Amino acid sequence: MTAYLVWRLIQTAVVLLVMSFVIYGLIGLMPGDPVDIMAASIPGMTPEVMANLKAIYGLDQPLMTRYARWLMAALGGDFGYSRTHSLPVLQVLAPALLQTCKLMVASFVLSVILSMALGLISALRPGGWVDSIISLFAFAGISVPVFWLALILILAFAVGLQWLPASGMGRVGDYGFWDQTRHLVLPVLTLTLANTGQFTRYVRAAMIETLQMDFVRTARAKGAAPSRVVFVHALRNAMVPVVTIMALSFGTLFSGALVTETMFAQMGMGKMIYDSILSNDFNLALTGLLFATLVTLIANFAADIAYALLDPRITLQ
Amino acid sequence: MSLKKSLAALGAAGLLMAAGPAFAAKDQLTIGVAQFPSTLHPNIDAEVIKSYTLGFVIRQITAFDKNWKNGCLLCTELPSVQNGLAKIIDLPDGKKGMQVTIKLKPDLKWGDGEKVTAKDLEFTWRIARDPKTGFSNTHPWSRAIKVDVVDDSTAVLTLDKVIASYNEWDQVLPAHIEGPVYEKAKEAGDYVKQTTYARSPTTAGLYNGPYLVSGYQSGSQIVLEPNPHWPGTKPGFKRIVIKLIENTAALQANLLSGDVDMVAGEGVGLTIDQVLELRKQHPDRFTYLFKPSLNYEHIDLQIGNPILKDVRVRQALIYAADRKTLTERLFQGMQPVADTWVNPLSTNFTKDTIHYPYDPAKAKALLAEAGWKPGPDGVCRNDKGERLSVEFGTTAGNRLRELQQSVLQNNWKASCIEARIKNEPARTFFGETLKKRAYGGLAMYAWSSAVTESPRRTLGSDNIPTEANGWGGANYIAFSNKRMDELIDKSEAALDPEEQKKLWHDMQQIYASEAPVIPLFFRAEAHVFPKWLKGYEPTGHGDWGSFESENWRSE
Amino acid sequence: MSLAEKAPPLAGGRAASDSIWALRWKRFRQHRGGVASLVVLALLAAFCLAAGPLETLRGVDAVQTDLFKRYEPPSAEHWLGTDDAGRDELARLMRGGQISLLVGLLATVIGGVFGVTLGLLAGYFGGRLDSALMRFTDGMIALPLLPLLIVLGAIDLTKLGFSPDTAHSPSMSFWRIIVIIALVDWTAIARLVRASTLSVKEREFVLASRAGGAGHLHIMAAHILPNIITPIIVAFTLTVGRVILFESVLSFLGFGVTPPTPSWGNMLNNAQELVTVAPALAIYPGLLIFITVIAVNFLGDAMQHAFDPRSEE
Repeated sequence: MTAYLVWRLIQTAVVLLVMSFVIYGLIGLMPGDPVDIMAASIPGMTPEVMANLKAIYGLDQPLMTRYARWLMAALGGDFGYSRTHSLPVLQVLAPALLQTCKLMVASFVLSVILSMALGLISALRPGGWVDSIISLFAFAGISVPVFWLALILILAFAVGLQWLPASGMGRVGDYGFWDQTRHLVLPVLTLTLANTGQFTRYVRAAMIETLQMDFVRTARAKGAAPSRVVFVHALRNAMVPVVTIMALSFGTLFSGALVTETMFAQMGMGKMIYDSILSNDFNLALTGLLFATLVTLIANFAADIAYALLDPRITLQ
Repeated sequence: MSLKKSLAALGAAGLLMAAGPAFAAKDQLTIGVAQFPSTLHPNIDAEVIKSYTLGFVIRQITAFDKNWKNGCLLCTELPSVQNGLAKIIDLPDGKKGMQVTIKLKPDLKWGDGEKVTAKDLEFTWRIARDPKTGFSNTHPWSRAIKVDVVDDSTAVLTLDKVIASYNEWDQVLPAHIEGPVYEKAKEAGDYVKQTTYARSPTTAGLYNGPYLVSGYQSGSQIVLEPNPHWPGTKPGFKRIVIKLIENTAALQANLLSGDVDMVAGEGVGLTIDQVLELRKQHPDRFTYLFKPSLNYEHIDLQIGNPILKDVRVRQALIYAADRKTLTERLFQGMQPVADTWVNPLSTNFTKDTIHYPYDPAKAKALLAEAGWKPGPDGVCRNDKGERLSVEFGTTAGNRLRELQQSVLQNNWKASCIEARIKNEPARTFFGETLKKRAYGGLAMYAWSSAVTESPRRTLGSDNIPTEANGWGGANYIAFSNKRMDELIDKSEAALDPEEQKKLWHDMQQIYASEAPVIPLFFRAEAHVFPKWLKGYEPTGHGDWGSFESENWRSE
Repeated sequence: MSLAEKAPPLAGGRAASDSIWALRWKRFRQHRGGVASLVVLALLAAFCLAAGPLETLRGVDAVQTDLFKRYEPPSAEHWLGTDDAGRDELARLMRGGQISLLVGLLATVIGGVFGVTLGLLAGYFGGRLDSALMRFTDGMIALPLLPLLIVLGAIDLTKLGFSPDTAHSPSMSFWRIIVIIALVDWTAIARLVRASTLSVKEREFVLASRAGGAGHLHIMAAHILPNIITPIIVAFTLTVGRVILFESVLSFLGFGVTPPTPSWGNMLNNAQELVTVAPALAIYPGLLIFITVIAVNFLGDAMQHAFDPRSEE
């Protein structure tokens, strides 16, 4: 087991290293030196000032040198300085991470609960009209563009009914628990609706498959009460593929939240990454992307571990 | 619990949740904006949203008011040759320079109670001139080669040239706070990273305006509260919140739902047609104000394109574009057609130039003169058989601009000119294409100039970006006209307003007849604010309405 | 569920294929959603293909602007009204559909072919190659898709050596989306194909063929591929829906198809600013995306039901 853990750790590190290089290179391919863009809006910015600023921000050196410098610093814990926020990168990312966590954890928990319930109900009577409705809802969830959904929700609940705030993370002067919760309702709702569909389908499929398995039919044939059969045997076995999918999705939930964060003006990781890419804030973009990759890697890893723990037939190699 | 009781409890909880913040709505003003400043330091990076925000908290020495006249904010009297505060002197090397005396108002204080003194001015000048500091815009201060501190309130600046902008000066920085930071900075760029404006933006001593920054969440919102040491008119609000909502649809929704009270019109909020539509739908809910601005929307013409070399073709392009209908239909006439880069409200504007009304017949005649005759597919051809087809680019993702493009494209099609649309993201457009003149034919965008700014930057031969000068300068069209250069030189040194007018008159005539650019219109700022907000007076130029924000109050 | 419904196990070779496909078609028809989706998709395809002819018939244009006719409600001339530039909305929807569907199909096929090849090679040859390819795939799966797509969409092609002319042409913006989506969205298919290949590899007819001295390429093409084709088809179908959503998100973020070429994605992005003024303009493209994707998903589901009866009832 420890050998496996160590091996995975090494793999993670390698992937991150490769990713850092690839992303650094891609960002370097993006147009528009930040200083050049600055110059477009500042009258009287002389070429000397531009050259000076480029030297200060290290933009006048070749890509490989810059990458090497960045890597050395990063390994020592210094992830650089964000040009667009005028603060060290980690100081910008930390609160963003917290905000994204609030959003993601809340919607993840809700999606899981909702999809387990819906998947279970529809698996009990496959083909029935309840199943059809739930399936339709599930399909709708995976088919709808998230930003469209967000817009509709804003229009309905914030502008139309005026029950909830249209965006932001809290009201100035308040920012208490209830205030922040109110502001999270619509974004969490958007993410939940979008993800529940996918999870529901997997739960349903896993449950149906399990319910058809021999041991279930045997238990039923032996006269065990239907509810015991379902909850004890089927659920446990259905958990295996479900947990895998859910853990894998956790990583993508992260980047999917990007659109939601933008629509609802939530200062989360997704939006941070997006903004920094657009404004050529190299350090912030790179660190943010690497972090997102790390989260996904950890989620995958957790999924594999959970997979092994839940299904004794599986051994890790 | 019975259903009724549960619902009642829920309802009560809901009401409690909706109770809102500690202040009554009218003690606080929430402004929605679609951009956020990267830092509040006045000299690092220049963004509209930053100077807008700074207008509340830190004042320039001089600024243009809502009538586009220059005046003192921090000084007691605007220096001029007439009142003796500005003198032309002889410099040791034989050239002529100037000496400008700036007397600061005696009761000005920083947010922590320290006086604003001439030492702060000298400090700002000193660190601006140091390349290690990393200021993005050193030009304002680098005009002065020497600063003498006469007493606490008086400083004398020595300029190495006679320039008309001698009485325009920017913000000063607090020496007692930024001084130590500057002293500690050793490497180039250290100051930029350590400046208190970035590290601790809520430090009261950084600001000398009617409001102070009491809360700062980067990328989210800025909270302002009154400056207890402000000597002027007492600010009308207990709190002002500047809230970022990038998505303009969400910004509108926030406005309608009351989460923001107003949207800043200075180009950092909604687009003008969004506000026009808002006005159509909710005419009585808000006050709508459209202020003409200095933002000049135009189309640069590629001087290196053989098709556009002939001035008749360029003029034909303008005649063939129905600019009047465009502005009337898209902007309900709020953004009047421009003839040159000079705004009609500017003192130096002249009507005495060539005008190009919509005249497709004239366009065709000019094209025929230049050797272009209609071809079989509706596009003109010259005798070599080449088609009259040019590229037409602008910033991608800007709905209004794309709309303008479609309309103009169709206008030109009717006059046998083919415009092929090719847009790029703003980063590429401004960062590469414009500067390096890499656009094929037409490039549509806008720039803003200060009220009396010399056109050297955009029309002077010495400001053409080239590889040799590292692509500096903003004369993207590579306009090079000897007479224009002469006029520019003269106008920068002319201190007499009448003489200025004459020189500007000639400059505009050259611009209009040479037609190096297709002037489109001057943007109007579209302000949406609540009916209870009084004293709100946008200016329409770069010294924003926030420069007089102490006058804003609710009634 | 009745035992009689179970299809006979797959046999190698093609002799029994006709009756297999007939059986599958029968099972497919039982799935209500699938049949409906097929009809819907056929209608959508016809809708989009008819863009050109219908425009000339009605005398309207997806491109021609008319500032005097902005935001018009539906009328005899403009069946769905006009947009913010006075262009016919229906014509734009049809043209946009062509682009969105094409992007969906092409990106799926290109990415899918890559994924199939990779999965096939990994599963068939096993050992070190498998290990290496799977590590690579896992690495790709670990990446956050959307931010990566944004970065890929934001790069300046001229820095890669393309001439400025080609880099900024409309056809380049079209192909660019296809390429970047294909670059990142092949992993699911690769894994699926590998797993299927592994299970088919050890079947008797494959072993027999190998014993008979057949080359690797022949075995993969003639024996393995036809027997794993069904999960591939299903996977491809489901990918199309995902890709169409990707295109719409990319357009929303500004990295998709650039105007004035309409695509459902960028029409939705455009209409976003106008949602309080002309909500219909936002509803139509969003609705079409929704209908297409949901139909594609139902289709995939029905095919899964038809091809592998053990997957669900």
